[in-house]
Amino acid sequence: MSTKADAPPAIDVRNLTISYGPRPALLDVSFTVAPGLLVGVIGPNGSGKSTLIKGIVGFIEPDFGEVRIFGRTMDEVRGEVAYVPQRGEVDWDYPITVRQVAMMGRYGYIPWWKNPQPRDHEMVGQALEMVRIADLQHRQIGQLSGGQQQRVFMARALAQGARILLMDEPFAGVDAATERAILDVLEAAKTRGRTLVVVHHDLVTAAEYFDRLVLLNQRMFAYGTPEQVLVPSLLSEVYEGSIRSFEMLAAAEQPGEGRES
Amino acid sequence: MTDFLRQALLAPLGETFFIKSLVGGMMTAVVCGVVGCLVILRKMSFLGDALSHAMLAGVAGGYLFMKLAFGLEAHAPAMLVGSVLAAVLTVGLIGFVSNISRIKEDTAIGIIYTGVFAAGVVLVSAFSEYVHIDLMHFIMGDVLGVADADLWVAAIAGSIVLSVIILFFRFFHITSFDPILAAAIGIPVGLVGYALTVSVSLVVVSAVSMVGVILVVGLLITPAATAYLLSDRLEKMMLLSALFGVSSVVGGLYLCVWFNTSGGGAIMLFCTIQFLVVLFVAPRYGILAGWFRRRRQVPQQVMEDVLGFVLRQEGAVTPEKVTAAVTGERSVILRALRQMLSAELLSSQDHGLGLTEKGRREALKLLRAHRLWEAYLHRTGVAPERVHEIAHQLEHLNDPDSVHLMDHLLGHPLEDPHGSRIPAEVSHEPGKKLRASELRPEERAAVLEVTEKGRDCGLQAGDVVICGPRRNEGRTWVLHRDKEEIHLEHRQADAVWVAILGGNG
Ligand SMILES: Nc1ncnc2c1ncn2[C@@H]1O[C@H](COP(=O)(O)OP(=O)(O)O)[C@@H](O)[C@H]1O
Ligand SMILES: [Mg+2]
Repeated sequence: MSTKADAPPAIDVRNLTISYGPRPALLDVSFTVAPGLLVGVIGPNGSGKSTLIKGIVGFIEPDFGEVRIFGRTMDEVRGEVAYVPQRGEVDWDYPITVRQVAMMGRYGYIPWWKNPQPRDHEMVGQALEMVRIADLQHRQIGQLSGGQQQRVFMARALAQGARILLMDEPFAGVDAATERAILDVLEAAKTRGRTLVVVHHDLVTAAEYFDRLVLLNQRMFAYGTPEQVLVPSLLSEVYEGSIRSFEMLAAAEQPGEGRES
Repeated sequence: MTDFLRQALLAPLGETFFIKSLVGGMMTAVVCGVVGCLVILRKMSFLGDALSHAMLAGVAGGYLFMKLAFGLEAHAPAMLVGSVLAAVLTVGLIGFVSNISRIKEDTAIGIIYTGVFAAGVVLVSAFSEYVHIDLMHFIMGDVLGVADADLWVAAIAGSIVLSVIILFFRFFHITSFDPILAAAIGIPVGLVGYALTVSVSLVVVSAVSMVGVILVVGLLITPAATAYLLSDRLEKMMLLSALFGVSSVVGGLYLCVWFNTSGGGAIMLFCTIQFLVVLFVAPRYGILAGWFRRRRQVPQQVMEDVLGFVLRQEGAVTPEKVTAAVTGERSVILRALRQMLSAELLSSQDHGLGLTEKGRREALKLLRAHRLWEAYLHRTGVAPERVHEIAHQLEHLNDPDSVHLMDHLLGHPLEDPHGSRIPAEVSHEPGKKLRASELRPEERAAVLEVTEKGRDCGLQAGDVVICGPRRNEGRTWVLHRDKEEIHLEHRQADAVWVAILGGNG
């Protein structure tokens, strides 16, 4: 471990505050992720999980704070971070094959006047192997199962050469077998040194799937191993609303007396 | 002059052809207007176009059938039935193609209706000895040559369609707005869709002979769109849409006889101009209204900056001082001042503007957010000379829950890094109930309750305490009970509920 201590963390989120209005969606969130970890982000609906992912990928400008990727700012490391879209965001009838989608991950490196080089083909091939859909590579993307579709976009992220993969709810609405298949790919990516941050909504499987968990509800309530984070007192505070919201309910019942306990 | 006007308006009414056109046109316009509302709300505008073209095949087919089978020339009912059949066939084919293949619906519409229209054109030209249909007439219509048969067709088709829509209004309403809910509560969504399609076909068919293929689409869509700009309810939209249709017909027909132009053209031109006028002047959804609204709107940020500035001044300030101090366009700031005066956040006083009680509360809320953010920034290690500037941006993140949370996370600080006092969340007048952690030095309070996490602090309900200055960089609360000094940590101070007492000791 001592050799790794000096290397910069894969993801370093510092005092991140992001807002869409007077209420910050994220308030002072800080954590660091060492390379090669599989991190789950958990929290109730509207707790800012998607906002966190969009903040890390650089899609939203923070009000305060910053995100560093391998010690450098996002602008310096474009391409190191890949985002896997939610399934609903894709037109699955689009005339394109699995391999072509994965090749798009290389487009950032191929000058417009050139064709993909052998190296690009090689990386795409590897990525398809890794997510184990190489045998389906000439299929049109609509002709795949839900889990396979998810993997196509993971292959694209891998072909991109990104060392960090961000995924927003890849397990939403898939069956148990598919969930298993996606998880296998996450683990394969991890063993090849990728760092993954995955939004997850199921507390029951969270401990089993992830090395570290981020427990979020506007601010970060905990970050650590599943044993450290999945503590009943913490979870009840985050999921059943803080003491403050009980106060608010009481206040709503008796107008004029805002502070009854 | 008035004589001339009266003459211009009344003379055409003496002509039978004009009256017939007027009656036929108005009937068509009313039905088109009502059905058109549903068409545009369901984003089916293109379908009207498709149906009106496709019916040529039906007209030709009906004509040909009666001619060959019974030797009847231009048998209107048969052509009508043919048109409706062609329309339904077109809709069916569109649905079929888009459902069974990956072709999307808009493309399917384009393919099928041109195909059916082409079949009609070929049919008419191939059997030109038998079928005497003037294609030009079909496309342009002849509103001034309305025959009695056309009137009857329009009246019957119109009454059927209107009756169906009025009787099943709620069905049409819910399937347009939320088809999933409609299906869930047992409304036959598919059937309602077909009913609407058949209605559109009937309307189109009955209107084509008067206004032609191209214009019937306009009569279906444009008045409905005009009404859409003016209504927030479907019933009102349908009523207005019918009215706009009628006014287009009346206006257009007069234009046509005065200037001796094409009838259909004049009607649609009138209709389109009517739309453009409404688009411009509509009170809520119009271009002018939107423009005014944007002009009137003052950014929340400017209001908050003004409040913050006035609060920091001693006494009243002149508007000039405000516009000089607050960043933003002068006109915007002045407008902000006017709005804040009418919202009773500011009041005009002897020497300028001052805060009202309400304005003061708002301003203190902002100041509190600002200073808490400063405390936060100081703690995260932001360079001192940048703290104020960043906090000035962040103070607009001031929703009460989030500020409350920050206050707690920072350990309820009393002062910001520059040593300025952070205003309390609520005013601490006698009787106010709060946590001991929120007490300010020198306040006297009665302990009401000590909850679980503070049991070890030695206080109990009924004690009277006076708050002393904090110690240990604000992390230790000091309360005096008689001569005794009680020290609380943050956790304990949060667990003790007190009520402020009057007459500080
Ligand atoms: N584009 C947006 N505009 C305004 N508010 C938003 C937007 N996106 C998210 N929010 C708000 O920010 C908060 C966090 O949202 P999100 O990050 O999507 O939560 P989660 O993914 O955990 O469900 C929610 O209160 C949500 O209403
Ligand atoms: Mg989300």
